[in-house]
Amino acid sequence: MPFFVLIFRNLLRQRIRTLLTAVGISIGITTVVALGVVTHSFKSTAKDILHAGGTDFAIGQAGSADLSFSTLTQEQLDEIAAYPEVDHAIGLLMAFSKLGSNPYFVQLGIEPADLEHFEVPLLEGRYLAPDATDEILLGQEASSQLGKRPGDTVELKDRSFTVVGIYHTGDVWEDGGAMLPLATLQEYERKSGLMTLIYVKAKAGTDLDALTARIEEDHPELATLRTLSDYNEVDQGMQMMDALNLAISFLAVFIGGIGVMNTMVMSVTERTREFGILRAVGWRQRRVLQMVLGESILLCLIGALIGSILAVIFTRVILIFPVVRSLLAIEYTPDVFIRGFAVGVAVALLGAIYPAIRAVRLSPIQAIRYE
Amino acid sequence: MNRNSIAIDVQDVVKTYEEGRIHALTGATLQVREGEFVAITGPSGCGKSTLLHLIGALDRPDSGRIVVNGTDLAHMRDLSHYRAHDVGMVFQLHNLLPTLSASANVQLPMYETQLSFWERRAKAQSLLEAVDLGDRANTPPTKLSGGERQRVAIARALANDPPILLADEPTGNLDSKAGQMVLDLLRRIQRERGVTLVLVSHDVQIASAAERIVRMLDGRVVDAGVT
Repeated sequence: MPFFVLIFRNLLRQRIRTLLTAVGISIGITTVVALGVVTHSFKSTAKDILHAGGTDFAIGQAGSADLSFSTLTQEQLDEIAAYPEVDHAIGLLMAFSKLGSNPYFVQLGIEPADLEHFEVPLLEGRYLAPDATDEILLGQEASSQLGKRPGDTVELKDRSFTVVGIYHTGDVWEDGGAMLPLATLQEYERKSGLMTLIYVKAKAGTDLDALTARIEEDHPELATLRTLSDYNEVDQGMQMMDALNLAISFLAVFIGGIGVMNTMVMSVTERTREFGILRAVGWRQRRVLQMVLGESILLCLIGALIGSILAVIFTRVILIFPVVRSLLAIEYTPDVFIRGFAVGVAVALLGAIYPAIRAVRLSPIQAIRYE
Repeated sequence: MNRNSIAIDVQDVVKTYEEGRIHALTGATLQVREGEFVAITGPSGCGKSTLLHLIGALDRPDSGRIVVNGTDLAHMRDLSHYRAHDVGMVFQLHNLLPTLSASANVQLPMYETQLSFWERRAKAQSLLEAVDLGDRANTPPTKLSGGERQRVAIARALANDPPILLADEPTGNLDSKAGQMVLDLLRRIQRERGVTLVLVSHDVQIASAAERIVRMLDGRVVDAGVT
């Protein structure tokens, strides 16, 4: 029989033990893959906000722990708008508060006059009136979750707002939240004259690299954000998420490795005589090593497969929560699953290296006599 | 095959166990000619199995020399190639893997060759037919009789066409009828294939089937016998 089939059949000899070990490994892999999917989806969703309203790039406060904590002033907005290459610059204040069952309902404060520049496509109703203070636009997802239509009222922080329109931008954060007059949001967030991000649309033909470099040079306190990697550099939360992901991967490898080692040590000990026979009929140490490592890798790949399936199920299940739906759109990318399988192989090698060495070091005659 | 050339040359071999407390071989010397059928006999504990295991490179001697077909085993860094290609070993306990079929057991030594899966399977079938077990290829050892298992073990020992066959008490666990069948099979293989056959047995009647009987006592060859 082919060598691979021999390895596979060896695993089937202890079906329950193989299954339990694979399931044990799969729990770690589920964590790694699910966290990877969520992290990637969160980043991807966050990236959309950098180009909201069809703008070319966003500007935040350099060094802010989290981009939502970025604080910019009206003066800075005016200075950015004054660059000759800038067609228009829009200030946006971002706030989160509990609304219904959603503890992170996103509110975006924007000058009503900027809505047209911001290219917010309306599905129903109209834009905020220029002098409005108590009007609100709801994203399509928020409208659906809250069951509110134009003409209805929404209670936000003990204040009533009249829904005047429903929009759909395709960005999860925007569609899951609301837009209201900048001054109103600044007032109840006690951030008078402040905003979170400045969105910039440059004039046609502008060299965006040169423009962003000049803005950062002129304003070291500002960070321009065009790509996800810009976002990662500025937003400490993203960096923490990556660090957490890495730490959990290492933990999964370590815990999984101990489980696999336990199984493989038992398997090798039970089969000492068998290894002696294989060595006696001429198997090289390398082939015995290949067999033990092959069994371990196959075991872990089965675990990785189960773990990946569980991770997909888990990430579908969490979407039943409105808060999750309003914060991220789940995306499955091959690299997340490749990382899950790479963790599986790392677990296999970590767990099997000691038993494998033990198996190949046996003297054939001692192994054959082993009881 | 040259019946006058020496296939196995054992010179003054010493082997001890348990840090020198047990003296298994105390200076054994033996020559076996190419194509010869030699039986090593002697009382239990005289070192005959130890000598066979050393010739089979399952272990290394403490001192002395074992030269097989002109090559000193002490100079071989990896003895696996020697065990796979130069000698075939048949044990008292068949030492077949119970979870594999008879055919898969016979194929085990062939993993160390360049043969494809199909070639390995075909060769295993041909070897099983040579030991009259062609129809039991897919049967696991647990469903074979003692004699049949030993015949599968002989087929496995011949897997890579080794010029030397070493049999350690091959009939020791069999009834007389099955034992005779295995002995006849070994003799037939030795004659037809021209292999050198060294058989260890404490049973003088079994040993008498050989061309030459070597007697051992207390870790030494005390009578090299005559052809």
